[in-house]
Amino acid sequence: MKTFQKYWAIFQITLINSLAYPGELIGRSLMIAPFMWIFYQLWKVTFSAAGTESINGMTLYSTMWYLMMAETIELSRPALARTISENVKDGSIAYLLNKPYSFLLYQFSNSMGETIFRALMNAIFGSLVIWWLVGPPPTPLGWLFAFIAVLGAWILNFCITCLIGLSAFLVEDVSPFVWIYQKFIFILGGFLIPLDFYPPWLQVIAKALPFSAMIYGPSKLFVAPTMELFANVLILQLIWIVTLGATLVFAYRRGVTYLTVNGG
Amino acid sequence: MSEIKFLLAVWKTNLLSAMEYRVAFISQIIGMLLNDFIYFAIWIIFFERFKEVRGWGISDMYITYGVLASAFGLVAMLFGNAFTLSEIINNGRLDYYLSFPRPVLLHAVSSRMISSGMGDFTYGFLSYALSGQYTWDGFLRFILATLLAAAVFAAFLILVQSLAFWFGIMTNLTSLAVNAMVTFSIYPITLFDTYAKLILFTLIPAALMGAVPAEFITQFTWQSLAELLAGAIAFLFLAVTIFRLGLRRYESGSAIQVEV
Repeated sequence: MKTFQKYWAIFQITLINSLAYPGELIGRSLMIAPFMWIFYQLWKVTFSAAGTESINGMTLYSTMWYLMMAETIELSRPALARTISENVKDGSIAYLLNKPYSFLLYQFSNSMGETIFRALMNAIFGSLVIWWLVGPPPTPLGWLFAFIAVLGAWILNFCITCLIGLSAFLVEDVSPFVWIYQKFIFILGGFLIPLDFYPPWLQVIAKALPFSAMIYGPSKLFVAPTMELFANVLILQLIWIVTLGATLVFAYRRGVTYLTVNGG
Repeated sequence: MSEIKFLLAVWKTNLLSAMEYRVAFISQIIGMLLNDFIYFAIWIIFFERFKEVRGWGISDMYITYGVLASAFGLVAMLFGNAFTLSEIINNGRLDYYLSFPRPVLLHAVSSRMISSGMGDFTYGFLSYALSGQYTWDGFLRFILATLLAAAVFAAFLILVQSLAFWFGIMTNLTSLAVNAMVTFSIYPITLFDTYAKLILFTLIPAALMGAVPAEFITQFTWQSLAELLAGAIAFLFLAVTIFRLGLRRYESGSAIQVEV
């Protein structure tokens, strides 16, 4: 219980810290507005050209709310990989390692604290734009299911970005990994185009990977909340959290053995 | 002429400096190439499923994405500090450039090279080659269009970032403007109505970085060339004017800065 309180305190400090500059928080969240508007233009024309109200079970309304949730998840991700990579490269990781807490759990509590209000603001601005464009949001059950699945998405994102950051133990620059990870989320996560519109063979591959459990799963649950989908998303998330979490712990333990810090 | 020699010397130094970390330099270029390839796959999936958007097909996307990537990459390579000019202004780092007998703006923006820009620049040419519309005269138009689109983009960056002279720290606005510029450039222009198009030629001149250069590359018309030339000249003039006006308001705290 005491251990939990320690990380809860770290989470609270970062959470409060993220509110220290409300202008920065709002300004950053406003970015979602032009993205949502341009998505609306694209999908309005696409549905109109297709001459149908529903494509593979998705309407313009559900596509737009799906994209709002996807954008909220993606735009709220903290730049954890770069932060950890900088800590490793400039040696400041030494200041975190000698404290009485787990480095990984510290980073997790910290990144969660950074994410919460950012996600909330993105969801508010994104929802306002989409409500204005296509109408009111989906049912409360969609919000509930999506919220639970988003927590799993954040844990998955933490595992992957932390792994990328820790790769700085081995490589000079982690930026290319960050870019490529982001693009995998874009494509295999269904960030810009819902996976339902993909060719069947690609859907099968994408839906088995962690990227879809981070974007497609929560976003689809938001617009089509069924118990079957909810169970599928949570099982997929659990499998990947266990796999990537174990890999992360292993990589971290190996990584610190490479660490050499000179001076201080 | 002396300014061109000066620019060439700065770019040469930037390149040598970036290549000092050889592995990071190469991994940034290859990483960005891969990044662009993967990102474009989204459009392949989209057009595979929906074929075209108001007459805009995958071939047009290859060209639009190509010219956009090359123009973006060119600015990142040659004028890397244009992306962070507002920080330079706010942190008083213009002092360093003011102390040289060289044009302040040109010196400041050209003093950094973003290595990944080379990946974007190269990818643009590959994208054009893959468009299925490659011709030799089209290739020459691609080069000219890239130069003019890069001029518009660099001018837009300088313009937005120079507002820091009046409004101070504005990281959010600048990143919003850059994101909007790149995002709007890549989407088919046929999506937008008249009012939106007006914005895309003026307030956020994304049309001059994506759709108009692509149109010019596909088929030469005097109109598209005139639009590109007029856009590049007008935005460069505006950017330099705003920067100069802002520079009159510039104050620094005499902080000691080290420019590496």
